[in-house]
Amino acid sequence: MKQVLNYRETEGKSTGFWILLGGLGALIGLALGSVLYMEHEGHYVTGMNNQIVWGMPHVFAIFLIVAASGALNVASIGTVFGKSLYKPLGRLSALLAIALLIGGLMILVLDLGHPDRLIVAMTYYNFKSIFAWNIILYNGFIAITAVYLWFMMERKMNKYYPVAGFFAFIWRLILTTGTGSIFGFLVARQAYDAALLAPMFVIMSFAYGLAVFILVLMAGYAWTGRPLGDAVLFRLKNLLGVFIASVFYFVVVYHLTNLYATEHHGVERFILMDGGIYTKLFWIVQILLGTLLPLAMIYHPTIGKSRPAIATAAALVIIGGFAQLYVLLIGGQAYPLVLFPGHEIVSGGFFEGQINEYSPSIWEISLGVGGVALSLIMVTIAVRVLKFLPTSLEDSVVDPHAAKAD
Amino acid sequence: MSQLALVIDLNVCVGCHACVTSCKEWNTSGTAGYMADMNPFSKDPTGTFFNRVQTFEVGDFPNTETVHFPKSCLHCEDPPCVPVCPTGASYKRDQDGIVLVDYDKCIGCKYCSWACPYGVRELDEHQKVMKKCTLCVDRIYDESLPENERKPACVMACPTNARLFGDVNDPDSEAAQAIRERGGYQLMPEWGTRPANHYLPRRKTSITIHDDELIRADNPLNKERQLPMPDADDPTLDETTSW
Repeated sequence: MKQVLNYRETEGKSTGFWILLGGLGALIGLALGSVLYMEHEGHYVTGMNNQIVWGMPHVFAIFLIVAASGALNVASIGTVFGKSLYKPLGRLSALLAIALLIGGLMILVLDLGHPDRLIVAMTYYNFKSIFAWNIILYNGFIAITAVYLWFMMERKMNKYYPVAGFFAFIWRLILTTGTGSIFGFLVARQAYDAALLAPMFVIMSFAYGLAVFILVLMAGYAWTGRPLGDAVLFRLKNLLGVFIASVFYFVVVYHLTNLYATEHHGVERFILMDGGIYTKLFWIVQILLGTLLPLAMIYHPTIGKSRPAIATAAALVIIGGFAQLYVLLIGGQAYPLVLFPGHEIVSGGFFEGQINEYSPSIWEISLGVGGVALSLIMVTIAVRVLKFLPTSLEDSVVDPHAAKAD
Repeated sequence: MSQLALVIDLNVCVGCHACVTSCKEWNTSGTAGYMADMNPFSKDPTGTFFNRVQTFEVGDFPNTETVHFPKSCLHCEDPPCVPVCPTGASYKRDQDGIVLVDYDKCIGCKYCSWACPYGVRELDEHQKVMKKCTLCVDRIYDESLPENERKPACVMACPTNARLFGDVNDPDSEAAQAIRERGGYQLMPEWGTRPANHYLPRRKTSITIHDDELIRADNPLNKERQLPMPDADDPTLDETTSW
């Protein structure tokens, strides 16, 4: 007989639960302390300067924001594309999406020169600015996903949830397009100004979001002792493989396009050959550890079926994702503005023509880690107080074919 | 539409940084200030400057030349920093074309500094708002100042008069005339930002002289030299004793 799908709160009484809450809370506390320090002392205590204006906090924030929209994919596959295997995962997917976005936004807002002026950002909109559009897209995403989640969880509203899910899916595509366009619309710097960046961010979100989802799902089920069947996990990891390959494809096209245009040879040479830390991060972390290794692990006939290997592959995708954003954001800023082509600047106050230096301060890293911790603590508390997680994701519960065989 | 701007003559700029210091002096105590200075006397000083001079080399050794290049906000007629500002804090004035930042609306997201292709926007490390050259907007309209002092501080300070100030859209202004008559150019016009500030190029004054032009064909000395020289023992005026 097919087991009934049942959602239940996690017990949340174990020591492990409190240690997790305490640990995440401590990280959030450290992040808030760092923010206070940076606010009090001024921008100069960070590694950022007038050349590298966005630093480590933005790498974390953009990772979380991009991953947020990707985390919603699991729900969308169930709702919009009607794959019943994914439907039990919908609640966690939407919850994770909201939590990741809030974590990312916390970093972004607290890193602003004036977080106290958030009300200004919310009340004065310059609609020509893609940044202003993103403010609307982020808030809208939280609202729409919250409604979607409510419709999924509230029996009376259940019949409307496919509509909400459809809107949430469309909205998330627009949101990541907006995030990618923050860089795609930048004409002033060599590494950006490419329409490709918008779809590339969308596909990056698919990979990062799913990798985070897989890890949270595996951790959640392992730590609460609930059964998680192979059917769900293998489907998810296969999908992750497709997404990793797609990101790789976009990265290749992006660099090939730049290599074709003489104007971009300088920045390509910098990233791919002699950019020091950026070149290392690109080849070793992003491509080797973050793309090729997880791909090999996922599609290996035996390793691909091992749970530690799946978890490792997901973790590698996340690490590779951070490297990718670091290279794209910081590497792109480190490469100087081209104001006097062919001329060497011997002195001056603008640092032009030289590779801009950036070393992230402990305060910035702490703020970024705090954002991740905020996302995770929100999920931990939410699954404790509301019915997000099915009591079982065994194959017989989620897999329609397994059910038929009974 | 009028468009105030600076015209900087690279031919006479000697890179003395008087414009940098006078700018900082005026603006740090003016309405656009203050301008942070962090660790000013230590190894890695940082701080806000609206105007900086950079020095670069042209050509390959030994045929090199040093060019001093003062650069501040160029007050583009189509400024890329304005449309990207999420709150509209960055704006261009209709009446005189000056690009300004409303410090009270700036949230410090720094996206404008990504968008400026000239790298002239700076986040003040203390006030945490984006700052840039205001063309001394608090000076040039100040009627309490004598009329000849209603100019940006950098223009007043330049010892070689390398900096001209005026409406580049008014063909009769000194600035527009200089651009027209002395080959004024914009920095990276290919961006399409139409920078209002212009630069006057370095000029070499040289003329071509052929060797034969240095020899006088009708030199009267040629004849004079043929006059018989006086005898050696003839008295001369300063040798009266020989009389």
